[in-house]
Amino acid sequence: MIMPAERSTGSSDHSLHRLGVICGLAAGAGLGAAEAPTKLVNTGLSPFLISLGMVAGVFVARWTVPMVLKGSDYVWADLRQKPHLVVWALIAGMIWAVANTLTVFAIRDVGLSVAFPLWNTNSLVGLFWGWLLFRELREAGPRQWAKVLGGAAAIVAGACLTACATSPQAGGATRSAALGIAAALGAGLLWGTMYIPYRKAYISGMNPLSFVTVFTFAELGTVLALALAFEGGVRNLTSALSSAQPGLFWLFLGGFCWVLGDLYQQYAAKYIGIGRGIPLSNTNQLWGLAWGVLVFGEFSLLDGAARILVVAGSLVMIGGAIAISFAEAQKGEQASWRSAMQRECERYGLDPGQVASALAGDDPLASGTSRRRWWEYVVAAGAVGLFVWLALRAGRPQIPFDGAWAVGLTAISALALVGSGVVLYRRTRFS
Amino acid sequence: MKRSRVKAVITDVHFWIPVIVLVLGAGLLLLLR
Repeated sequence: MIMPAERSTGSSDHSLHRLGVICGLAAGAGLGAAEAPTKLVNTGLSPFLISLGMVAGVFVARWTVPMVLKGSDYVWADLRQKPHLVVWALIAGMIWAVANTLTVFAIRDVGLSVAFPLWNTNSLVGLFWGWLLFRELREAGPRQWAKVLGGAAAIVAGACLTACATSPQAGGATRSAALGIAAALGAGLLWGTMYIPYRKAYISGMNPLSFVTVFTFAELGTVLALALAFEGGVRNLTSALSSAQPGLFWLFLGGFCWVLGDLYQQYAAKYIGIGRGIPLSNTNQLWGLAWGVLVFGEFSLLDGAARILVVAGSLVMIGGAIAISFAEAQKGEQASWRSAMQRECERYGLDPGQVASALAGDDPLASGTSRRRWWEYVVAAGAVGLFVWLALRAGRPQIPFDGAWAVGLTAISALALVGSGVVLYRRTRFS
Repeated sequence: MKRSRVKAVITDVHFWIPVIVLVLGAGLLLLLR
């Protein structure tokens, strides 16, 4: 039997690589834009509350966006066909929440400038798992290795330079530096390992929209449990949430931007693998920096040396992203990817033709699941209504804010996200 | 989920690596609390 992936032409492979790179870079724009609204939240909220508010926004958006794009029948059909992947999606959601909480402790104990470089190694951890478990970069020549590994290392190094330059050097209290370093390294290991379920789902032919629908349950549940544990029970958490209401809209908005960025990250992981897709999406640091410098005036707080570090770090990150963009998987490596896919098909009784078709950007599930239910529109309207309701209660933050740059960056980010969405839709119909 | 698929999941090394890392992370959180 000739599978669609085997039939694929060189130009088709090339267009899928280009699509994956576009998705990776769009993920950076979306995840970076998510950092902006959280800066507008009044200070004084605990990190657990900020995390919970943002993840609640993520939950609302993650249920709505897949339903609007593909319909609930499609998502259910996809999940029913590969029920074993529900377990991996739940594990991935729990891993995200635990890693995110570990970063809170890492910042507290060793400060952001030390903690950030440590957990930012997650893309290198993901690259390792991709190579070990999913045969990424196998049969790849030294030039491809140099581009991917060098590019990923450059993005990590560039992000570390900018983090060191922009975070207060005094750092956090050194209550326990060893535990803080362990927390930062743990967060990097957890996030890097979270990409195992991502890649597992996509080489099994699952649609990223179905995966995130399940992922978000475990994510919200775990964040809620951790917030209850660290905030001191239901009563304390409810009271803290009610006093945080003026900032909830900004957290929800951040969560919404994060969902868009995360979806593109998932598509990048699907079409170019985690070794290439995750480092590209980690360019979100560049966007976060642009928001901080241009909109919130953070550049004025830096001295000359720190400014040079920021510019140098940004250039190194851009160089790394360019290197990965040109590291297209060649025929030998693509054959390795197919053997990883074949393993999943044999182990879980999946149809290899259908899985290969999904990986080639086709949508074998689309026929017969296009019917929309009336209540899907109600859910979508409810989600929009919730955002509007929170917006009406949002507080005006008293922080430096450049409106012109905010409009400019919002327009550029929206253009990147919508433009990439159009490319993704035309090539794959969001498969 | 069918019993054969459950067996396929729990004998899959791809399952145990994230689970072990998650347990270690949760343990670290307890230590930090």
